[in-house]
Amino acid sequence: MTEIYLRLVDRVLTPLIVVLAISLFLRGHDYPGGGFIAGLTFAAAIELTILARGAAPVRRQIGRYLLPLAGFGLLLGVTAPLLGIYTGGFFKSIWVKFDLLGVTVKVGTPQLFDLGVMLVVIGMSLTYLLNLSERGKEQESPVFAGHR
Amino acid sequence: MEMSLPPTILAFPVAIPLAFAALGIVFQLMRPTRAVPMQQFLAGIALVCNLAVASVLLVFTLSGGRLAFQMGLWPAPFGITVYADALTAIMLFFVGLLSLLLLPFAMASLDARRERQGFYPMALVLLMGANGAFITGDLFNLYVFYEVLLMASFVLLALGGTPSQINGSIRYVVLNLMGSILLLLAAGITYGTLGTLNMAQIAERMPLAPPAVTALIAGLLLVAFGGKAALFPVFFWLPSSYHTPHPAVTALFSGVLTKVGMYSLFRTFPLFFPDLLIAWQPLLLVLAGLTMLVGVLGAFAQPTIRRLLSFHIISQIGYMLMGLAVALIPSPFGVGFGLAVAILFLVHNQLVKTALLTGGGQVEIEMGTGKLNELGGLVSQKPLLAVLFFIAAFSLAGFPPTSGFIGKLGLIEVTFATDKWLIAGVSIFVSLLTTMSMIRLWQYIFWGKPHTQRRSRSEYAPSTTQAMLLTPTAVLVVLSLLIGIFGQRALDATQIAASQAIDRKAYIETVNLQPTPGVQASEPSAAVLGTRMSAP
Repeated sequence: MTEIYLRLVDRVLTPLIVVLAISLFLRGHDYPGGGFIAGLTFAAAIELTILARGAAPVRRQIGRYLLPLAGFGLLLGVTAPLLGIYTGGFFKSIWVKFDLLGVTVKVGTPQLFDLGVMLVVIGMSLTYLLNLSERGKEQESPVFAGHR
Repeated sequence: MEMSLPPTILAFPVAIPLAFAALGIVFQLMRPTRAVPMQQFLAGIALVCNLAVASVLLVFTLSGGRLAFQMGLWPAPFGITVYADALTAIMLFFVGLLSLLLLPFAMASLDARRERQGFYPMALVLLMGANGAFITGDLFNLYVFYEVLLMASFVLLALGGTPSQINGSIRYVVLNLMGSILLLLAAGITYGTLGTLNMAQIAERMPLAPPAVTALIAGLLLVAFGGKAALFPVFFWLPSSYHTPHPAVTALFSGVLTKVGMYSLFRTFPLFFPDLLIAWQPLLLVLAGLTMLVGVLGAFAQPTIRRLLSFHIISQIGYMLMGLAVALIPSPFGVGFGLAVAILFLVHNQLVKTALLTGGGQVEIEMGTGKLNELGGLVSQKPLLAVLFFIAAFSLAGFPPTSGFIGKLGLIEVTFATDKWLIAGVSIFVSLLTTMSMIRLWQYIFWGKPHTQRRSRSEYAPSTTQAMLLTPTAVLVVLSLLIGIFGQRALDATQIAASQAIDRKAYIETVNLQPTPGVQASEPSAAVLGTRMSAP
């Protein structure tokens, strides 16, 4: 059984780290931060849950979505530069500014790209972390190539 | 005829495989029985589109065009430059063609387990890495694409997870990481000395660097790319890993991996170090000769089809280096003839080696073993495969009228004309040994008495599967024959590629470097050099 204190820490800290990850992602374009760091931070939050509650429940809840999530991130990462062809060339950025409740918000394709990076990092690093946390599952016996 | 192309097209050799690989990974969410056909379909579309883009680029560059694109329209050297000339386009085209041909082979032969683990998306990522390494005009970006290649090939090697695969993959990744570190080191030293990583600007500023630093960078790049290309003495990763994965993976690797390393040597040496290419000629020729000899001698001791063919990959790499070594020596056939022959030889080798590995792979898949002493007498069961394998084997050995003959003839011609008798002799000797080794291989597989306890599984397989397995071998052998028969036209095409590759001025002009603000144009190198080099 896992530690009671660790479970408490997990309950308190995990949401906070997720918020930290989101804020790191949003300030990324002009200040330190960005998709990669935000993705790692997010994965660290989930790792805390894995440590506190074991890998099995986490695997049950999100395991099968991790690789597709990384794929979706990659897809965003290649779509954002492709959108740039519309304004002149691959990777050319497009920015949109608008007012939301009195605050000027800037949204653009670099952020879409960054979001893609974040999803890839979350998907891949959680896949590693889950695999590392699960102790030596028995491999199926290898099947050599043959006709199906 | 003047053709014009939007430079943005250079993004597609990377964007297409990446986008379709990503889409394929998203489909992992579905049940494997539905995800795998979807991934196959996506891979098919991606490979056809990729080949179409490569064909357009090939036609454009062979008519004399060059193309450069700045990512995000940030002017060079601030953004990342991608660049294509005929050498790039030839590589893009043939790697794209091989990947497309291997798709039916993989679909017919891969087991469900490997397919579910994501073979098709990973193969596309491998293609993206190779394409990126071909088109990039930035040294650091080149390193990044090598890492993409390394990661994708590592996953493909380990796919299936048998103990021998894990063993081979670990050797592969450790030895290749060392090469990557050397490449990174070279990039770091280049940036520290010349203040740039843009390949056009490196070419422009390299003459200003102290000779010792130039030699250091050239040496590091030679070992790094030579390691990727499996040159002597840094080839150990290849024979210890290539025989372990599924035969489709080995065939894909033989057409892509080592050839990317060789391409990088073809690209960087004439561009950065034209003087060293002449000064280091003895070294390069010794390396080429030893690579040929060690490869072919190693092949004689091998007990399985793929181990034997892996050693021949190494041996053939030596011929390409031999062509590069005489690339800039004036010969009666014009400057760059050596490089033109080397490029032709590279293409020939991609085609023929993949043909042999798909043919041998088919034998291995259907008989359930690649051990030479457990095979035999297949000529009556598989007459067509026996003929195709025979032609491919003799093309590898260099018999007319195949592409191997043209390649070797050209190499011997240019080395004779420049009085490099020794290497020419070694290459002829190695060709003889290759012929012996190939005859021995063919005899083991197709001649003699059939093994009674082993029966071909193909008797139970549908004929469409048979056809899909045989297609790549057949198409590649026909291509090899075509190149051999229309040898002069093929050489003319690679001559265009070679003359573009050694034309440093045109490369620099095409990339269109912008002056650095605050510093005089093409002077910062002096400033950077002054500060960096004043320390003892």
